[in-house]
Amino acid sequence: MAALLDPPLLRRLEALALRVRRAVSGQMGGERRSTARGRSVEFADFRSYSPGDDFRLIDWNAYARLDRFMLRLFVAEQELPLSIFVDLSGSMDWGRPNKAATARRLAGAIAYVALAALDRVRLTVFAEGPTSGGAPYRGRRAVANLFSRLQSFPVGGPTDYGRLVWPIARQRPGMTVLISDGLGESSIDPAIAALGRARQEGVVLQLLAPQEIAPDWTGDARLKDSETGVEREFTSTPVTQAAYLAALARRTDEIEHSAHRQGLRFARLSTDQPIEDMVLRTLRRLGLLS
Amino acid sequence: MTFLAPAAAALALTLPVIVALYFLRIRRPTRVVPALNLWPDEIRDRQANIPWQRLRFSWLLMLQLLAAAVLVAAAAQPAVSAGTSLARHSVVLLDVSASMQAQDVQPSRLDEAKLEVGGLIDQLGPQDRMTLIALGSVPRVVASVAGDPEALHRAVSDMGAQNGAADLSGGLALAAGLVRPGDDARAYLFSDGIVGPIRTDVASSLPFPVEYHRVGVSGENVGMTSLVVRTGAQSRAAYLHIQNFGQQSRSFSLEWRADSRLVDVRKLTLAGGQAQDLVLPVPSDATVVSAHIDAGDIFALDDTVSAVASTPRAFRVLLVTPGNVFLQQALSLRTDIQLDVIAPAAYKSSAPYAMSIFDGYAPQALPDGPFILINPPAGSPLAGGTPIGIGRVRALDAGDPLLTNVDLQDVHIARSQDLRASRFGRPLITSLQTPLVLVRDEPFRQVLFGFDLHESDLPLRIAFPILVQNLSEWILPPSVPSHSFHPDEPVTIVPETGATSVAVLRPDGSRRSLAGGSIATFGDTDLTGLYTVEQVVAGKVDRSWFTVNLFSEQISQLKPADRLTLPPVTSTTAVHSAHRGQLEVWPWIALAALVIVVLEWLAFHRGL
Repeated sequence: MAALLDPPLLRRLEALALRVRRAVSGQMGGERRSTARGRSVEFADFRSYSPGDDFRLIDWNAYARLDRFMLRLFVAEQELPLSIFVDLSGSMDWGRPNKAATARRLAGAIAYVALAALDRVRLTVFAEGPTSGGAPYRGRRAVANLFSRLQSFPVGGPTDYGRLVWPIARQRPGMTVLISDGLGESSIDPAIAALGRARQEGVVLQLLAPQEIAPDWTGDARLKDSETGVEREFTSTPVTQAAYLAALARRTDEIEHSAHRQGLRFARLSTDQPIEDMVLRTLRRLGLLS
Repeated sequence: MTFLAPAAAALALTLPVIVALYFLRIRRPTRVVPALNLWPDEIRDRQANIPWQRLRFSWLLMLQLLAAAVLVAAAAQPAVSAGTSLARHSVVLLDVSASMQAQDVQPSRLDEAKLEVGGLIDQLGPQDRMTLIALGSVPRVVASVAGDPEALHRAVSDMGAQNGAADLSGGLALAAGLVRPGDDARAYLFSDGIVGPIRTDVASSLPFPVEYHRVGVSGENVGMTSLVVRTGAQSRAAYLHIQNFGQQSRSFSLEWRADSRLVDVRKLTLAGGQAQDLVLPVPSDATVVSAHIDAGDIFALDDTVSAVASTPRAFRVLLVTPGNVFLQQALSLRTDIQLDVIAPAAYKSSAPYAMSIFDGYAPQALPDGPFILINPPAGSPLAGGTPIGIGRVRALDAGDPLLTNVDLQDVHIARSQDLRASRFGRPLITSLQTPLVLVRDEPFRQVLFGFDLHESDLPLRIAFPILVQNLSEWILPPSVPSHSFHPDEPVTIVPETGATSVAVLRPDGSRRSLAGGSIATFGDTDLTGLYTVEQVVAGKVDRSWFTVNLFSEQISQLKPADRLTLPPVTSTTAVHSAHRGQLEVWPWIALAALVIVVLEWLAFHRGL
């Protein structure tokens, strides 16, 4: 745990909570507003008494005024089901700082916020296909297991975003965070579309390394694709670098537009950004944390 | 076109090397990228990946080949034939005299001439040599038979203007001395043509042709060519000569100063070619007077003149004679001599005189100083042998300065002591029978006449006062001559008796110390203006002055000569195979190469 996130950061994360734009529906009580009516201190509505209702909820003051049994309904506070999908494909094993390592830490930080708020966290890593991170984690005691599990996954292989569609679609309503660089042979669009259709509070975090945002080399080279291993000879000049940067900008813009079309929140992060900045500044500005 | 370094063509081997580099496979470092599909498909791979693959057209390759070819061409130092005929040995005489300071061409005639000489240097071939001579009042070799254009350019750049006149004869004689017989030589004179006449001895022995390159266009100049101070019975006055040497009328103001005090300002207008003499007042206490005109013409050196107004100190001269009116009259012509005449019986050796003249008398102990001894009586220390009859009188050396303007044609002498055995000094005037007048410099300047002036018709001739004047000025030159000198003219300074140090303060404030106690020739008179001679006599500083002015109508006229009468080549041994000068064009080709390299860089960055 200590290797993934520093204790001071964890202490600061405890003060945060995941923010959802609509009420959630979980299986267990939690600290989230639920679509169900239940026990809490927040008044929701009145309704007429029906036999079988808990007579402890009858509003006797209303009965005195209206001569009818009325029940006081309260908002039920339930847990938030949070799913985190972390890209650990070959393209993520690149850059200084390494994108995969940063993705693990970012996922760990978001998961820690959720677990500290008694939310339920489900972890999935993916490359060529999705790999479940095991049973959902709940409560602070699960933090160590989650971090350990997060660090145990290997990184490598091509990315197939198409195989994320089903795992995303079968998610219960809640929040889903997708951490990926969005690169690879296949398009990320099917995964984003699935996220939009799944009535999820979807968040797409695109993680890039500074060396791919601004390449720091010129001259002749043999380029090797980190996922497919395909090689190609190349001479880097200001002109070809400009073409690369244009292609990268096009790809990232497509991901952002796709996310916004699906009503998802989107943020582009650079691995040279400290994890504290990502969580405490970027994700808060995004409205993901409060 | 010729190539001065044809061996550099071997560098053309770089061209196939460049092409070969495009054929050869290059070793590329492997770089892992997250997504290869983001990198452009159109990979600018100029190098073939397998050897000897068909070469693809590339603008970059073309530009690189072109740049290399142009650089190789520049290295071969191509040269084109220039307009001037050059000899293998070019002797450049660059006029640095006063008139070359004229600014009728900008910035000055000298700078214009330097530019032209620079062009000539650029045309030198690798085998050509050049000698540079600065043509001033004393011609000087600046670069001798040099072939390095850079050194020659530096030498020309370092040449500065002088205030004296140009001595073309001296320059040509100097150049002739540097050219070996049989050399393929040619002289180039860059001048405005205001040079002294060529001496016949120089003109008759020049082994090379001389080519005159005129510099300058105009002679519009107003200048002052004379300023003298005359002392009359009651007052002193200065006589100033101003002349407009140009064609156009000019109005200007004249400032007249005495010891830097403004005495008078006059507005003057001179028509083209008009001259005017002015008489200007000189205050009684004035030491130096000067005149300045603001004519705004092309030549400034003759716009300021100065003259010494103080009277020179007089010499005390003793004449011991039983009676000689001729001698007395001749000596009294010199204004700075205070003459004491006594009879031989009254002579006392202790009296301090700058010069003693003994006529028909010789004291037992001759004074330890300058003297003239005329017909010493028999038995006296310097007396000659038995008098003998004299025939024709003649000068031993007609060019002797002591006999300047002394005509001895009609001079007769009845008889003279026989001075043939005398060891007094060198003969000045002689006859077939015996030397008549002997002179010597050591230990003092002294003269011995062997004959009685009364037994000769010399005192009746015009030659006599001139001879006496010449001798007395030789023996007693004025301590510091108060008249004006020309630039670079040497000034003889005779220190005052007892002077412990002598120094000359020049117009620019610099100080030159002279050896105290002995007659010195001061030659640093290149600047015009007032020179102050400071002598320390008995702990007191004694000041006297002389001036240096241009005062040359020939120079002030300034109009450049269209052609000079230059001597023909007389040597028959010299081989004149003058070739066209070569103008090296490699700097321009190198510049073109630079432009191509820049284009290649741009092409690379534009992805061509």
